[in-house]
Amino acid sequence: MRTRKVIAATTCALLALGLAACSSGSKSDDAGPPSSQNVRMVMFPGPQGDALQKVVDNYNDTQGLKDNVQVQTVMLSRADTFGKEATQMAAKSSDIDLYFTASYIIGQQAPNLDPLTTVDESAYFDSSIEGLTVNGKLMAQPLNVSNTFLIYRKDLIEKLLDDPAEHKRYEAISQEVLGKALQPKAPDDWSWDDYTAAAAYFTKQYNPESPTKYGTALQAKNLSFNVMIWNDLLWSNGGNWIKNGKADLTSDAAEAAVNTYRTIYTKGLTSPDSSSAEFPETQAALQNNNAAFALQWSTAFNSLNDPKASPNIAGNMAIARIPGKLHSNHAHTQGFALNKYSKNKDGALTWLKFLNSEAAMTEFAAAGGIPASPGVLEANVANNPSFPYIADQIANYGFNEPIFSGTFQALGKLAASLSGAWVGEKPVKEALKDANSELTALLDQ
Amino acid sequence: MTKMTQAPTPQQQTGILSTSATDGTRRRRRKALRLWSVTALAVLISFLLNLPLLNAINVSLKPDAQMNAPLSAPTTPTLEHYANALGAAGYDFPTFFLNSFLISLGTVGLILIITVPACYAGLRLQFAKGLVVTSIIGLRLLPAIFFAIPIYVLFMTTGLLDTVVGLVLANTLLNLPLAIVLLSSGINDLPQEIEEAARVDGASVYRILRAIVVPILAPTLVAVAVLTFLFSWNEYLFGLILSSTQSTPITVGAANFVTSYGIRWGDLSALTVLSSIVPLGFAIFAQRFLVSGMTVGAVKG
Amino acid sequence: MSATRASKARVSVAGSGARPGPRPGSSAGWILSSPLLVFVLGIVLFSVVYGVVLSLQHRTVFDPEVTWTGLRNFGHVLADRAFWQSSWFTIQYSVIVTVIEIVLGVALGLFFNRTFPGKRILFLATILPITIAPALIAVMFRLITNENIGAVPAILQNFGLDISLYSPGSVVPLLVVLDVVHWTPFVFLIVYSGLQSFPEEIREAARVDGASNWQITWRIVLPLIKPVLFAATFLRFVDTVRTFDVIYVLTGGGPGTATETISIYIFKKAFEDGNFGVAAAAGVIMLTVMLPFIPLLVRKLGRAEN
Repeated sequence: MRTRKVIAATTCALLALGLAACSSGSKSDDAGPPSSQNVRMVMFPGPQGDALQKVVDNYNDTQGLKDNVQVQTVMLSRADTFGKEATQMAAKSSDIDLYFTASYIIGQQAPNLDPLTTVDESAYFDSSIEGLTVNGKLMAQPLNVSNTFLIYRKDLIEKLLDDPAEHKRYEAISQEVLGKALQPKAPDDWSWDDYTAAAAYFTKQYNPESPTKYGTALQAKNLSFNVMIWNDLLWSNGGNWIKNGKADLTSDAAEAAVNTYRTIYTKGLTSPDSSSAEFPETQAALQNNNAAFALQWSTAFNSLNDPKASPNIAGNMAIARIPGKLHSNHAHTQGFALNKYSKNKDGALTWLKFLNSEAAMTEFAAAGGIPASPGVLEANVANNPSFPYIADQIANYGFNEPIFSGTFQALGKLAASLSGAWVGEKPVKEALKDANSELTALLDQ
Repeated sequence: MTKMTQAPTPQQQTGILSTSATDGTRRRRRKALRLWSVTALAVLISFLLNLPLLNAINVSLKPDAQMNAPLSAPTTPTLEHYANALGAAGYDFPTFFLNSFLISLGTVGLILIITVPACYAGLRLQFAKGLVVTSIIGLRLLPAIFFAIPIYVLFMTTGLLDTVVGLVLANTLLNLPLAIVLLSSGINDLPQEIEEAARVDGASVYRILRAIVVPILAPTLVAVAVLTFLFSWNEYLFGLILSSTQSTPITVGAANFVTSYGIRWGDLSALTVLSSIVPLGFAIFAQRFLVSGMTVGAVKG
Repeated sequence: MSATRASKARVSVAGSGARPGPRPGSSAGWILSSPLLVFVLGIVLFSVVYGVVLSLQHRTVFDPEVTWTGLRNFGHVLADRAFWQSSWFTIQYSVIVTVIEIVLGVALGLFFNRTFPGKRILFLATILPITIAPALIAVMFRLITNENIGAVPAILQNFGLDISLYSPGSVVPLLVVLDVVHWTPFVFLIVYSGLQSFPEEIREAARVDGASNWQITWRIVLPLIKPVLFAATFLRFVDTVRTFDVIYVLTGGGPGTATETISIYIFKKAFEDGNFGVAAAAGVIMLTVMLPFIPLLVRKLGRAEN
């Protein structure tokens, strides 16, 4: 009896296996009409991906039929896309025609890609084109930009600025935490000291009457994206990764940048959990009145003002320039690159040409995307109130980390070396020295 | 720490000299109380262990705006997250679920076919002195990443990329060591007398395996099946690397909810809940075998 | 983990480690093993050999040219401080987690080894945590430990404890607790199944002889389920050494590299540095280190216990 049951179960499993073999065989038959070229591209899920999908679907139904090209998107998560692409590149795979890429990884991927020569570069931000150019050749076509903002609670800051009594308290707290008696200022004019002082003012530990528990929400997790945010401090202090061709992470600007983070964390101006925080944690902190302002990705802004997503704070969030002398803000560009081993280059290029057009970019913006196109951003303010800020900040203050084969690795190594120092677990000078030698090794490779 | 409160054996009961009826009821009540306190403790333990899942259920029913009140139940429960987890968000979850199911079931089948006869041969028939079988256990020491590129290249050249069959083979590779460990343990516990007797009676090795060994091994086979199903259902890395559009399992599909905008907590919680139901269902289904297999086996022995 | 121990107990309790001698007609051995051999040759051997070959090559994402680099990748790994740190952390973490899970799993197994009202349902409820995929539970942990929208900090606050779960001092205990909550039911399941095949007669006999319940457990039950315990310990230890998803999602190996496990190290080498040769070398080193334990395993799993 038992035997029969076991055999029955095994037979079921085998049948399933057989079914699976058959079904996966037949599925590949309906990947579009056989005569059209099938272009496969990778995309992040999320609002940018959803917006692009709309453009793709529309193209497949209209222009694509004329061009005889059908586009198929392969969605992979933000964390894993590049790992998967790396595997495919290492295996010289032809599975994907257009790889999803970004300015921070294009340097690493370039040997596996074909340069693009027919792109109308004038449609895009200069920094976007720079960000995707490796050794003088454009290796990818920009799609969207992602930059950082200083996002703050307008209501709370205005209340502070309007009340002279609070100025006194602010001064006292600033003295206590920074050793300098600073006066409150509008966020657009902040130095990093002002940022720190304001954070202290809004931290209950120093100001029992603060409306928020902490002043800010630092993104201090060991993560490449967090290094991009920290780079804001480095660049706005006048520093850079590289100076005269050599790694320059032991500069005063770098030290000041690490120390700002360190002060904020060790003095308790941000939650201790910030050591593992990134985008979603910062969102949650802002949404729950546990932080008054933060450095955050620009894509976050809309949902913070949306009553459905952030009922507590909707309507009260505003955008300011990144603090610091130069107000530099990291702006990376994402786009599509042509796989060297693709069997469908013509189709892919036809699709890219369509995407290059103002019509396509406008469609993308209307669907919720943030195109890397200043003209389109400005023309579509009605869709997305953060557009003018994005356009303005990227054009005036945007920067790319140096684009070379080791950029992506460098971000990872800096995250590993510096995140300890950000939260006071590692001495600052030692961390910067380590980071510097890692960067030097990468530059030499 | 363990409370060994067994029901009083006949010896103990008759050993207590008492004839009063109230003593009897008091004893029964004490026994009932002991048993119920065991239940209470078990409830507490499983509650603590299941906090993440219970929280997931709670969050999956909340609209996004209510995320900031973690301890309260949703004031306006919504099924939108479950709808999203089943495809409403535009990602083809029904296919992902089907893929996961086929992959897991297929892996169970393949694992059983491969390992049961081979373990018997290795451990009982001394085939290759059991070395083939036991050295495979060593595979479990390697992180799955080690196999990522080799398998990718192998599948690329044999056209198995993005197929359910390919993922079945990959998951079989991953679960071979586990199956062998459990089967070895089970086979080594088999009383040899029965097999001896059958062999003396002239039965062939195959007959012995099929008619005697496998039935006795049923509980072990069920354990192997359940755990293999579970680990295949939950596998992520190979699913990520080897699939792109056709054979995506749910674990990889779930990553769609971790976006560059943030994490869709509600949708992910709903998906987590749905995803746990299937292996649980498989385990319940298999537990019947487990229970019935063991009791009959004990009687036979 | 199989059914009938009763007969064995009756027949002999001591020294039944002998295995049947080689059978005549060992072609049966070949035939029965053929599916496994085919699979091993086709996939397992290919993958392992390819992986070892990779470790000897200069194979990076930057360089479409693949060249032989001999043992240089191994040198790179062995000279890398991050490798040693992550190995050390991994070993400490694995040992602690495994010990806790085995102890708790055995306790749970013994605890459930009786009839009580609602046992069937509670048994299923207790093994429920392992049905959640590590990739998914990582996000669920992230949610439940989030200080703003997570249940655990909210509960702690209700008890007046304002602890930060992710501060550098508490992040490792947090990871240990999360792993224990996720995987103790796995140990419990294996131990419980082993206990099911435990012959009641032995326990009865011992009790008649006057042994207390505690003595019965310690002296008789536990030693007899040693093979099961061993399997569970091996499986859990090896799995925690390979831990990746939860830690990577929650801390990324941080703060700094405080929680970087060897799997995260290999992952970063492969997918961040794009250096598959070095990543493969690290994997081979891992295997080589654990390899000497395999004969020990073979002996333990092959021996029937007294």
